[in-house]
Amino acid sequence: MEIIERIKTNKLFSNPTEIQKLCLKKLQSNPLPNLKSELWRLSNKSKFSNFLDFSLNGNSTNFEFPYQNNSKNIIRLIIGENSPTNINNEDYSINELNNEELIAYIKKNLSSFDQNENWSELLNLCLSFEQNILGLRIQGTKIPPLEILSHASNDYINAKTLILIVEKNCNLDLLQINLGTENSSLSHSTYLCLEENSFVNHGMVAYGEKKSNLLNSLNVIQQQNSEYNLGTLHFKFNYARFEIRIKQSSGNARTNIKGMQITKNDEQIATYTKIEFNGPNGFLDQINKSLADDKSHAIFEGSIIVPKIAQKTDASQLSRNLLLSNHAQIDTKPQLEIIADDVKCKHGATISQLNEEELFYMRSRGLTLAEASKLQLGSFFKEIISFIPVPKGRWDLLNKLLKQD
Amino acid sequence: MVNENLVKDVVKEPYKYGFVTDIETEKISKGLNEDIIRLISTKKEEPEYLLNFRLNAFKKWQQMKEPNWAELGYEEINYQDIIYYSAPKQKEKISSLDEVDPKLLETFDKLGIPLTEQKKLTNVAVDAVFDSVSIATTFREELAEHGVIFCSISEAVKNHSDLIEKYLGSVVPATDNYFAALNSAVFSDGSFVYIPKGVACPMDLSSYFRINSGDSGQFERTLIIAEESSSVSYLEGCTAPMFDTNTLHAAVVELIALDDASIKYSTVQNWYAGNEEGVGGIFNFVTKRGKCLGNRSKISWSQVETGSAITWKYPSCLLLGEESIGEFYSVALTNNLQQADTGTKMIHIGPKTKSTIVSKGISAGHSKNSYRGLVKMGTKAIGAKNYSQCDSMLIGDQASANTFPYITSQQQNSEIEHEASTCRISEDQLFYLQSRGIEFEEAVSMMVSGFCRDVFNQLPMEFAAEADKLLALKLEGSVG
Repeated sequence: MEIIERIKTNKLFSNPTEIQKLCLKKLQSNPLPNLKSELWRLSNKSKFSNFLDFSLNGNSTNFEFPYQNNSKNIIRLIIGENSPTNINNEDYSINELNNEELIAYIKKNLSSFDQNENWSELLNLCLSFEQNILGLRIQGTKIPPLEILSHASNDYINAKTLILIVEKNCNLDLLQINLGTENSSLSHSTYLCLEENSFVNHGMVAYGEKKSNLLNSLNVIQQQNSEYNLGTLHFKFNYARFEIRIKQSSGNARTNIKGMQITKNDEQIATYTKIEFNGPNGFLDQINKSLADDKSHAIFEGSIIVPKIAQKTDASQLSRNLLLSNHAQIDTKPQLEIIADDVKCKHGATISQLNEEELFYMRSRGLTLAEASKLQLGSFFKEIISFIPVPKGRWDLLNKLLKQD
Repeated sequence: MVNENLVKDVVKEPYKYGFVTDIETEKISKGLNEDIIRLISTKKEEPEYLLNFRLNAFKKWQQMKEPNWAELGYEEINYQDIIYYSAPKQKEKISSLDEVDPKLLETFDKLGIPLTEQKKLTNVAVDAVFDSVSIATTFREELAEHGVIFCSISEAVKNHSDLIEKYLGSVVPATDNYFAALNSAVFSDGSFVYIPKGVACPMDLSSYFRINSGDSGQFERTLIIAEESSSVSYLEGCTAPMFDTNTLHAAVVELIALDDASIKYSTVQNWYAGNEEGVGGIFNFVTKRGKCLGNRSKISWSQVETGSAITWKYPSCLLLGEESIGEFYSVALTNNLQQADTGTKMIHIGPKTKSTIVSKGISAGHSKNSYRGLVKMGTKAIGAKNYSQCDSMLIGDQASANTFPYITSQQQNSEIEHEASTCRISEDQLFYLQSRGIEFEEAVSMMVSGFCRDVFNQLPMEFAAEADKLLALKLEGSVG
C-alpha cells in the first residue's frame, strides 16, 4: 500500500496545498478505515490494498470521450485537462469557482467528515492536485447537457474532484463518465449542491478495463423543493466502491435513484448509499440492481435515516439482484432507521436467477437459450439505463452492456 | 387528530409480577473466577467432562470482548459484582411437590403457574425455575409413559449423561459469542427435553423462569432433542421482581431436530423492563439456536417480547438437512426507555431448505426497537427459498424503529425475498372505529392486535390469549 506508506511518512508531496495539508493531518493518525466496520467489512482486503498500490500522478494523459459528440449543443469537460471558459449568456451561465470559494466550500464539508465514514472523500481530497479539482457554479435554465469525464492513467492512481453548485431555479442534465484504464486506480469525489427549486438529472457511468480500480463517492445536498434524479451504472472493475450520500437539508425535496452494478470474473463492486432526511415531506424512490456472474461479488448496502423532524417522509428502497453463477456472491442490506412516527417507509430485497418459466416460454417460441437470456437481461438493464440522461442515439449503453463478453 | 398529550401519559399500569418472594436462599459470594465455577460444579455434583466444558468456556470468555455492534446504550456490566449461583434453601432431595417450600408454590401460583396437583394446568407440563435452580417439574410420570424425558438439566446431567455429553454445546459452542461463553461457564439450571423416535409429545411442555434475587444473574440452559419423526411444542415464560438495579439474564437454548422431527418453541418474555425513567430492569442477552440436522425436519420459533430493559436475542436456525424448514415469528414491543435488538439468522446449508421470517416491531415512548436478521444461502443450498417480512409500527414521535436485514447468497438456484415497511396507527382507521362507538384505547388495542395477528396465529392457544392481553396492558395510555 504505497500510498498509505507515503501518507504515514509524509512523503506524498513536496509542497501540499492547504486542503491537502488539512486532509493529511486527518489521515496521518489513522490512515486506513476500520476494515471491520459495517461500511468496510465486506470489502475484499487484497483488492483494497491493490487499489492503493500505485504511485500518485497529477498529470493525466490525453483521453477521449468513449463516444462521438454528434451534437454541438453539448458542453464537454475533462477534469484535469481543460478548464472551462466561463460561459455567460441570456439563458444560463456556467462559471468556475475561484480558489477562495473552492477552499471555503471544501473546508465546510471537511469539518463534518468522519474518519471512517468519509474516508474515501478524505483520501480523494488528500490526493487531488489543484488542477484536478473542478468547481462550477451553474445558473439558469435551458442549459445544454453537461458531460464531465474523469479517468485514470496506466499504472498510476489518479484523484479527481468535482464540485457543482446548482443555483436556485436551475434545470440541468449532467452526465459523468469515470473511466479506468488497465492497471490503474481512480479516486473520484463529486460534491453536488442543489439549491431551492432546482432540478438535476444526473447520470454516472463508470467502467474500466483489466485490473482497474475505482473509489467513487458522491455527496449531494438538496435544499427545499429541489428534485434530484440519479441513474448510475458501474461495471468492469477489478475493485470498485461507490458511495452515495444524499442529504435533504430541510426536507420537502424529491430524490429518485436508479443504480446498477454488474460484476464478472473475480470482480468486486460495491454500492453504499445513505439518504438522510433532515426535514419534513421528503420523498425517495430508490432501486438498486446487481448482477453477479462467474466468481464475482456484488454488494449493496443502503441506509435510510428518518429523524424525528422528518415527519411525512415517504421513502422506498428496493434491491433486486441476479445471481448467475454458483461461485458468485451477492450481499445486500437495505436498512431503515426511523424515529419520526408519521412516515411511510418500506424496503424490499430479492435475490434470484433468470426466470426459468419466462426462458422456457421464449424458447418454446423458437428463441435460443442465449437469445432468451439476453432478452431477459435486456429488460433487467433497461429500467436503469433509461434513467441515465443520455439518449440512445448519442450513446447506446444497453447495447454496450449486452455485447460485453 | 390523534391526541399527542396522550403519548405523555405513558403506561401507568404497574408491573404486576414485580413482587419479591421472601425466602431463605443459598447464595455463593459475588464474583467470577475458576474457583466459583468449580464450586458451582461441585454443588451440582457434575461429572468431570462438564467441569472441563465450563472451565474451557471460562478461559475463552476471558479472552473475548463484550460485543457492542448493536449500539445498545447501557452502562458497563461489572461481571465481578454478580452472584452466579442462588437457590432457595430446601431439603436435599424432594420426592414430591409436598416437600417444596409452600412459599415457592405460592410464588408460582401468584404468577399464574400452578404447580400443585389440584391446580395443574391441563395438558401442559411445567418446569419451574427459580433463580438458579429448577423447583419442580409436573406431569413427569405421564410423559415418561411415552418415553419423553422432561426434567431440569441438572437432573439430566445425573440421569442421562450420555445425551448431555453428546449434545450439550453442539449447536451453540461454548465459544460462540461473549454471552454464550459466559453462560457455558456458569449455567446453573434449565430444562432438558428428549423426545424419542416416532413420538408426538402428548402435551405442551413449558418452562417458567423466575428471577427473585436482585443481585444474582440467571444463566439457564435449555436443550431439546427431537429424534426421528417426533414432535414437540415447548413454551417458555419469564418474570422478575422490580429492582432498581439491572439484573443480567444470559441464557442459551439449543434445539436439535433429526429426520422428520419438528420442534415448536414459543416464548412470552415479560421480564421487568425498568421504570419510566429507565431505572432497573433485566438485561436479556440470550443465544437461541436450532439445528435442523435431519432431512425434512422443522424448527419454528415464535416469540412475544414485551419485557426487559434491553433485549439482545436472535433465535436462529441452521438448516442442514435436505428440505428442512426454519420459521421465525416475532412480536417485539418496546415502551418507555426499553431497547430491543432482535431478529433471526436463517443459515441455509442443505438443498431445498425453506425459511419464513415474520417480524413485527412496535415502538412507543422513547424506546428503540431494531430488527436485525441474516439470511444466508450457502453454496450447496440448491433450490432453497426464503421469505422475510418485517413490519414496524411507531407510536408517538419519540420512539425509533430500525431494520437491518443482512442478505447473502452464494447459490444462484435459490430465492430470497425480503419486505419491510413502517407505519403508524392511521387516523382514518381510528376515527372509523371511534365513530362506531369503540373507545379510543380499545380501538388502538384492536389495531395493534390486528397488526400482530400473523404472529399470534402461530402461538399455542394459551399463549396467544395471554400475549394479546399483555400487549394491550403494556400499551395502555401510551398511544397518541
